[in-house]
Amino acid sequence: MTALAGGVPGTWVLLAYRMPREPSRPRIAVWRKLERLGVARLGDGLVALPADARTREQLEWVAEEVTENGGTATLWIATPASAAQERDVARAMRAARAEEYRAVIADAEAAAGASEAERVRAVRRLRRELHRIGRRDYFPPHERDAARAAVQALAESARVGTPEVDEASR
Amino acid sequence: MRWATRAGAHIDRAACAWLIRRVLDPAAEFVFVSDASEVPDDATPFDMRGVELGHHGGDCTFETILRRHDLDDPVLWRLAEIVHEADIDDERFDAPEAAGLDAVLRGLSMVCDDERVLELTGPMFDGLYEYLRRELLLDRPPG
Repeated sequence: MTALAGGVPGTWVLLAYRMPREPSRPRIAVWRKLERLGVARLGDGLVALPADARTREQLEWVAEEVTENGGTATLWIATPASAAQERDVARAMRAARAEEYRAVIADAEAAAGASEAERVRAVRRLRRELHRIGRRDYFPPHERDAARAAVQALAESARVGTPEVDEASR
Repeated sequence: MRWATRAGAHIDRAACAWLIRRVLDPAAEFVFVSDASEVPDDATPFDMRGVELGHHGGDCTFETILRRHDLDDPVLWRLAEIVHEADIDDERFDAPEAAGLDAVLRGLSMVCDDERVLELTGPMFDGLYEYLRRELLLDRPPG
């Protein structure tokens, strides 16, 4: 992972890609995949993730999908020229995740007044959502802990983990 | 036969190596490379970008190998769902085993080299296969 704490920029993996406008289905599939990975969008057809073995592999497979669908893709390992640039990119990524965590908090709070069975289902759904967000959260915002706490509070209010409650919600 | 894949084996590569030895080539030898250009001429590459046995059409490499070799064993396809979710995590399948398998493989790759990862995961996949086989036969989790 990048050394954001220090003043020295870390290493990033960049995917530069172009795909035919039509058909739109593979273009949208690639777009969705990149959203799921939580990429920073640096420009038209240029996305970035902090480099590690997993992110590099993920973008390699997206590149493969682009070329299989008639597009072109190149993968780059790069270092931002200044720490300030890197901070801006990381800040935008953190803000995007913060928004997702805030949606989880709102959902957890909205579910608080629901029936016990509905609360149990909401806990399952929100835990999956936390897992999804966590996979693409490279620069955790403080909303992360608040979101985890909100889901945990909902779980405790619904007594998730108590056999009769789990059974009743199925 | 020789087979080549990228160094730093994780779930998909480890599972593919097991599948290759178990079903396609019991005497398989594996070569780990850091770049596609290092694949020896006599080796079949897998789980690398730009090769036939890679990710295709949303499939992970394990699924691609099953498809390309017309392997229709339902136990292998159930295992493929778990490998797919551990590798890609796109929720195409319901495979709660995947998260644990992902953590175990990531941890192993932190403390072992690739040869050792394959040595250790061979019996693990044998066991998982047997577990899934009994699960399919019984139509419920085996005791």
